[in-house]
Amino acid sequence: MPAAAIETHALTRRFGARTVVDRVSLAVPERSIYGFLGRNGAGKTTTIKLLLGLLRPDAGRAVVAGVDVAADRIGAARKVGALLEAQGFYPHLTGRENLELTRRLLGLPAREVDRVLDVAEMAAHGRRRVADYSLGMRQRLGLARAMLGAPPVLVLDEPSNGLDPEGIADMRRFLRELPARTGATVLLSSHLLDEIERTATHIGILSQGRLVLQGALSELKAGLACEVAVGTDAPERAAALARAHGFAVEQRDGELVARFAPQEDARGAAAALNRVLCSAGVRVHALAPRQRTLEALYRQSAPAALA
Amino acid sequence: MSLPAPRFATALAVEAWKLRRSLALLLAAVAPLLIAAFLFFNMTRLRQPMPWDTVLQTSAAIWAFFMLPMCVTALTALVAHTEHGPRAWDHLRALPLPRWHLYASKALCVLGVVAAMSVLLALLSLAAGRLAGWWQPAVAASGAPDLAGYALLLARIFVAAWLLVAVQLWIALRFASFVPALATGIAGTFFAVVATSAKVGVVLPWQIPVNQLATDPARADLALAVGALGGAVAFALMLWRMGRREALA
Repeated sequence: MPAAAIETHALTRRFGARTVVDRVSLAVPERSIYGFLGRNGAGKTTTIKLLLGLLRPDAGRAVVAGVDVAADRIGAARKVGALLEAQGFYPHLTGRENLELTRRLLGLPAREVDRVLDVAEMAAHGRRRVADYSLGMRQRLGLARAMLGAPPVLVLDEPSNGLDPEGIADMRRFLRELPARTGATVLLSSHLLDEIERTATHIGILSQGRLVLQGALSELKAGLACEVAVGTDAPERAAALARAHGFAVEQRDGELVARFAPQEDARGAAAALNRVLCSAGVRVHALAPRQRTLEALYRQSAPAALA
Repeated sequence: MSLPAPRFATALAVEAWKLRRSLALLLAAVAPLLIAAFLFFNMTRLRQPMPWDTVLQTSAAIWAFFMLPMCVTALTALVAHTEHGPRAWDHLRALPLPRWHLYASKALCVLGVVAAMSVLLALLSLAAGRLAGWWQPAVAASGAPDLAGYALLLARIFVAAWLLVAVQLWIALRFASFVPALATGIAGTFFAVVATSAKVGVVLPWQIPVNQLATDPARADLALAVGALGGAVAFALMLWRMGRREALA
């Protein structure tokens, strides 16, 4: 098991009677891109604020790059660069000036601003006022600022928020290359399943404040049941027949879906199901295996989140 | 890359740097200019020359009585809004530096701007008096200006304003909306104006500075002590409270 860049132990935070983060134990491996998933209000931003020491936990603890956040907030903050949902740029200053302010506060050499502008591919726009930036440029500037001082951990809260499809694709490419280019571990919070699936190496799914699933994305997907969509003119009858013969089927979004355990021979099982249906006179016009997707994982782990 | 230990001087320099091209700096230049313009027009409409002492006393009175409390209200709100507007507090508070650095540097910056406004007021008031005399020699201010006395008076007004600055800055930092800070400042200035001679004025933050013009030296000294010591205590409390404040979830 690789060392954890971020770990939390039963981290809990309440606001009044409401428990927003409920005994969350994250384990973010070093140099991974950890997709932190959950719908709006699931507790992702609160967890991030706990990691950054912006909120104090009611119970549990958070450790970033080996430093306990509650015991040494400043020490932990030295290991983290963050892009928060509210980017907090001064619109009357240029992009470069905004970075310059943070650089000075961090006591870094002047060349550091040029370096991060280059890494974030923002060098050409550094002398424009932030007020004139597009949302995508602000997000990139936020990434540049998070990378000042080359922290070993980057915490990015919804970096694709508000971006157009082209901006999202750019951001995805950029994030995928980050660990290799900078050696950093990236905690990437998002509610966009597709983006996380294409970017992350590991995931954690938060639902109603609880961490319901985490691990390496490839391993989690391999453990998923195999699904086969059955195209038939009589789905109700086909479902009844299949169940009578011991197949696990469900009708979802108007189509019949058969599920086979990961260890099962899915091809053989699908053929057996086909035989059962055809021999009973049900016309089957398609058997389409479904890919094992993050959405399926999400559906299994946090069904309420998709409701 | 290892980061050096955070230094307060850096936070202060960064805070001052943020004022570039800001409305706060514009306000700092315009407010003393308005008083100087008033002095100039007031002198040129008179038929008799005014003594220099009266010119400078008028300048200090307008400043302490009305312009200073209103400017502090606006200045603190603008300076706090630099972070409230773009929601920059979370970013700043997540940085590896003691949080009191952020608030103390802001407080010192505001005090620095108010001090600079006092100096500018002195220079512009003297210039306005000289300009009026050059424009209409018949009404040129009589006698010699007591520069040391005037400088001391403005310095006392500045120190007496610390409690006012602390109260207004605390409210402006605490609430993201302009409204609580502006409402408090306007209400405080209103009561300071309508209750000029009230005994309680010696402890009312918005009225403490104008007490430096009181004919009773004991009252002026008491107001100065309340303004300076009360301001120091209020600043310390503000740093403690704001430093411990959590981010909004």
